[in-house]
Amino acid sequence: MRAHELTAAILAPPLAPIGHGDRQLVRHNLTNAIPAMVENLPLGDQVVVTLAMLRQVARDPAALSRPEEPFAWKPAFVRRSLGLSAMDACINHRFSSPTEAVGPIADQAVSEWSRTGWRTFHWEPWIAALHPAARSAVMAEAATWATTLWSSIDWHRFDSPLGLGGPDDQWACTAARTVRLKGRSELQVPLEATHGGGAESTALVSVAAGIPRTGWETELGFLALVASLRSPSRPVPSRVVGLWPDAGQYRSVDITSGVLTAAGDRVIACIGAVVDARMSMVV
Amino acid sequence: MLVMDIDRREEKGGAARRETAESKSRVMGSWTPLAGDALLDRLRVTGRPRPLADPDRAARLRETIERGLAQGTVANQGGPRDQSPSPTPLVITKDRLTRALSPGVHHDAIGFGVQPPTTPMACGALIDVLFRQLVTIGSIGDPMSDGLAALALDDRQAHLIAWIDSLSGTERGTLAAEVDRQSIALVNRWPTLDPAWLPRTQLPIRVDVAAGAVELSGRVDLAIGRPGLNVASVAIVEVKSGTRRPEHRKDLHFYALIETLRSPAPPFVVATYYTRTGELDIDPVSDELLAAAVRRTVAGARALGQVAEGAAPSRLPDQQCGKSAVLPGCRPGRQRVTADIGGYRR
Repeated sequence: MRAHELTAAILAPPLAPIGHGDRQLVRHNLTNAIPAMVENLPLGDQVVVTLAMLRQVARDPAALSRPEEPFAWKPAFVRRSLGLSAMDACINHRFSSPTEAVGPIADQAVSEWSRTGWRTFHWEPWIAALHPAARSAVMAEAATWATTLWSSIDWHRFDSPLGLGGPDDQWACTAARTVRLKGRSELQVPLEATHGGGAESTALVSVAAGIPRTGWETELGFLALVASLRSPSRPVPSRVVGLWPDAGQYRSVDITSGVLTAAGDRVIACIGAVVDARMSMVV
Repeated sequence: MLVMDIDRREEKGGAARRETAESKSRVMGSWTPLAGDALLDRLRVTGRPRPLADPDRAARLRETIERGLAQGTVANQGGPRDQSPSPTPLVITKDRLTRALSPGVHHDAIGFGVQPPTTPMACGALIDVLFRQLVTIGSIGDPMSDGLAALALDDRQAHLIAWIDSLSGTERGTLAAEVDRQSIALVNRWPTLDPAWLPRTQLPIRVDVAAGAVELSGRVDLAIGRPGLNVASVAIVEVKSGTRRPEHRKDLHFYALIETLRSPAPPFVVATYYTRTGELDIDPVSDELLAAAVRRTVAGARALGQVAEGAAPSRLPDQQCGKSAVLPGCRPGRQRVTADIGGYRR
């Protein structure tokens, strides 16, 4: 995978935006199907659908029936947040490479947290309490993650300011049990509008470990779906590009009504699998 | 990539410096390990032209692998590419490849079971995290404390840490002494890497072949240089705390193959750095090296495929016995390990 090829794929002229009617239809399908699926779940239960869960249901559905391990911080959970901050600092010319940036950025975040008690990213208290060597392991993980992404893209080709990370897109479905869809992309790239009206257009870039597997189109489409549901007044992202640095591969999907519909169907199937697994554990 | 441009300009001067450094390191007939810039030059200047990016190379290698696998059973596990790949591909790592190709195929060659901890294994795991720390922040404090603190972040090492905790004072002292010795040597010899060379530690690399039926997977201790250029620019380094073994070079050739399949250009060099002695084994990457790696990978994949299909592995003891998860219940293996004690081995 060459940086200029991936960058060109991200910046390719977008297709015509999806019509309001098509968008509404996908939303309607979801709001129609989901409430009935979750009504028998135990009171207070909730279902959160993420890209990771979609992939898990497709590849290891048995994992849904295994008890969840209690959350504990790991370097892999910090690398994205710290790595994106380091890349942001590089884009703004504060540092020349992510390796240089991660240490100062982590120190700055920890001291900011110590000073204010405010949790910007939420990992600060954890790494503040770590042994210095363990902290360096966290930094190494973030530096490697960010360096790989940094060297995969030709950053000079982006004319407009990029979004890096940022809050997840979220949409909650009105139902007896809470169902939330959460979409997370690493980059949000403004695209040059080529259609009448000059509508705002965006490409999302999603970074994943491993190798692209069957169903990658709807998985990437899921991120556009959540963005579309979250804010009906905001245009649907025109494109989602998936990057698998371990494999040196990328995939790009232009968002059409067909892709959104397929992503919606995948969400419904995923919720069905989650509900079945939980109900089997209850019984 | 900066390192590439500088490297090519300095190729001639670098070779001269390397010669000088190596001459110096043989002063009075005694061998002295390379250190600092001399070590870096040895790594950067291979004396061979660097391979050019060639999309056909990866395609040819992939085709050869897939043709080889098609003659066995493993390639039939998946469907067409991007259509219906096998949900559980046969994952091939360097360790599984070596075990599969050892004279005695071990019962656990197909699995990823937890290996019974040994002092050399603990030393290797600690040196791995200390090397990563040195590359990332440029220093190591108390090696045992630092190493254990970093290992503790990795769930997969919980078994090893518990084992280290269970060691007697003397055994732990022996381990700590070796880790100290190797760490001090590492700090004294390992060169500082310019961040502009994009050092990546514990870099996961993987590719799927045969429509997803087989996955080649690795985790590189250190990769340096920008990938995706027209001329090979990436160097891959593995760190070993034990003694030299022939299969270490083969491990690196396997990594060179994966990197070639996943990137526009192969790495220009693969190297093993031995922290116990300071030896640096260098292999410039060539088409011949990659072709040999393909042959070995196909042979290993077939052997693993046969074990997966239920073929009974033999119980011929070999040098992999010490790493076998079934060692406690394997009499020939235990006899081999008992007879095979000698220095630190990973």
